[in-house]
Amino acid sequence: MSIFEALRVALTQLWAHKLKSIFSLLGVVIGITFLIAVITVVEGMNRYVQEDFAGSLFGVNTFSVVRRPTVSTGNRSAEERRRLDRNPYPDLDDVEALRNAVPDARYFAYRDARRMREVWHGVRRRRNIRVIGGSEDYQDVQGWKIEEGRGLTPLDQQRGLKVAVIGPEIAEKLFPAGSPLGRQIRLEAHRYEVVGVFERKGGLLGNAWDAAILMPYEAYNQTLSRKRDRVLEISVKTNNESELQVAMDAAEEALRISRGLRPGEENNFYFQTSSGLLSAWETINNILLAAVPGLVSISLVVGGIVIMNIMLVSVTQRTREIGVRKAMGATQRDIMMQFLAESSFISLLGAALGILFGLGLGKLVERFSPLPASIPPWAVATAIALGLLVGLSSGIYPARRASRLNPIDALRYE
Amino acid sequence: MEASTPTVIVTHGLSKEYDMGAEIVHALRGVDIQIRSNEFIAVMGPSGSGKSTLMNVIGCLDTPTAGEYILNGVPVQDLEDDELARIRNREIGFVFQTFNLLPRATALHNVELPLIYAGVKAGERRERAARALGLVSLADRMQHQPNELSGGQRQRVAIARALVNEPSILLADEPTGNLDSSTSAEIMSLFVDLHRQGQTIIMVTHEHDIAEFAERIITLVDGMVASSHATLTTAPFASTAPPVISEP
Repeated sequence: MSIFEALRVALTQLWAHKLKSIFSLLGVVIGITFLIAVITVVEGMNRYVQEDFAGSLFGVNTFSVVRRPTVSTGNRSAEERRRLDRNPYPDLDDVEALRNAVPDARYFAYRDARRMREVWHGVRRRRNIRVIGGSEDYQDVQGWKIEEGRGLTPLDQQRGLKVAVIGPEIAEKLFPAGSPLGRQIRLEAHRYEVVGVFERKGGLLGNAWDAAILMPYEAYNQTLSRKRDRVLEISVKTNNESELQVAMDAAEEALRISRGLRPGEENNFYFQTSSGLLSAWETINNILLAAVPGLVSISLVVGGIVIMNIMLVSVTQRTREIGVRKAMGATQRDIMMQFLAESSFISLLGAALGILFGLGLGKLVERFSPLPASIPPWAVATAIALGLLVGLSSGIYPARRASRLNPIDALRYE
Repeated sequence: MEASTPTVIVTHGLSKEYDMGAEIVHALRGVDIQIRSNEFIAVMGPSGSGKSTLMNVIGCLDTPTAGEYILNGVPVQDLEDDELARIRNREIGFVFQTFNLLPRATALHNVELPLIYAGVKAGERRERAARALGLVSLADRMQHQPNELSGGQRQRVAIARALVNEPSILLADEPTGNLDSSTSAEIMSLFVDLHRQGQTIIMVTHEHDIAEFAERIITLVDGMVASSHATLTTAPFASTAPPVISEP
């Protein structure tokens, strides 16, 4: 009997017992759905982080000087974390030292920022906002685009004018009717004139930026700063990747000199780059992906056991049929193939449904979050291979039992 | 005349013992039979006489513990399971008391079954199965499932299935055991027809009037051949006269 013939017999059998067949493939469906859904989401996050997130947070060919890393990967020792916590904030002296160290930078920017409870316009207010005092170039380093009005100009910066560019969510809340341009907003006791509105960034982390207010660093330093001349972050963007390392080396040297660090003393500042962030993400990513095989194999083993049990019941119920087939000339191999084809088909069908459901879940995630659904071909191939593996391995024992039945006993079986 | 007819089955000292743990049951104790081509044999005997065991051995479903069994010149007593399966497929057509059709398959598919294991391609298979069903006058019932057929029709499907691969022997185990008398007569007239067309038939039965359709009756007692004699209803061999079928 050919494999094709075995499959045909199996199909007839499965069609004749539709309900039983559906129940027997549930386990595999769940396992494969889970596999595909998790991989889809992780890959989607991966793509999101690499293409959107890292770029928008730091930009390419960019490094920034900070007190300590903003994203912690958790593989630092407690002692190292304490040392980083003791680092002083950068200040305007550091800014000057750095500016002179990297004269060829494409952009050179720094900022301070704080969260504030509320911003007012008349009786309207928006709660929970972020106020950023940014230097010249800062909005360019961030790649922020202006929706309405203008961004901050060198003149605003030089004079420390009390002007502000506001995020779209703030604009909507404070100025629901007309244009915010030229109107006043109030932060604590200070008033600022709105000169522009940012384009909506949206997305997973963009929401924080959509409720932000950007003002000239000098204006911020004079009015809202918690500590005069403090800087949270100094960002340097170079023209290309090869310049990045040179600039970082020059910056390190200049900072050590300006901070008076002796040779052998540890840096009391930290360089953050987008590649550093990506490697942190990769660590998280690997942990997620490492957890998948364990969880998937549990459900697949359960699914396999379900199939095996149903196949064993089926062998018992079909003892007479097996006897008849043997009397008609079916060899052990024929019977074995028939049952293996059946279990493999159930399992493969389960895998196919699992792939569909998994993709569906991925699409749902895509629909309701900024994560793109991305299903790599290897995941589909793995799912199919796993389906076949589960089908064959769960079918072998029942198939062997069926094939070894004594035809006389089988024919007499009631 | 008899010498010119090829011998299909020869057994020498065929014995079968079952180890039942506490005791050993001797189901067959040295059975010597010869069956020539185109014979119609009835095997009779009281229950426990070993007639089922003999049928199983002749049908290659079981192997003897001792003795020789030569089927079409091939000694089959020592063959492996898969070789026996191949012989069942080519040489033997089974008809059972309980029909043993696949319940969820059509008559056509049931008849195709031996051809599937013979490796016959789908198109030819269907054609041959349809022809076999025509032979038992069921051409119009090909797409029916067994539960849509009467007992007699089911047994005729089973006979078509037994014949479809043109076996050397048609082996029938109480073929009328589950049928009423008129249907039994119908099935037996079919057997007589087949026999007249040259089919070798071996049939186990415990009913004398059914056995009378055969041309020779082998009676087993205690696992041994007690008697083997020609019947009265049918001429000794290769009769051209139509057999008498008693209609109720």
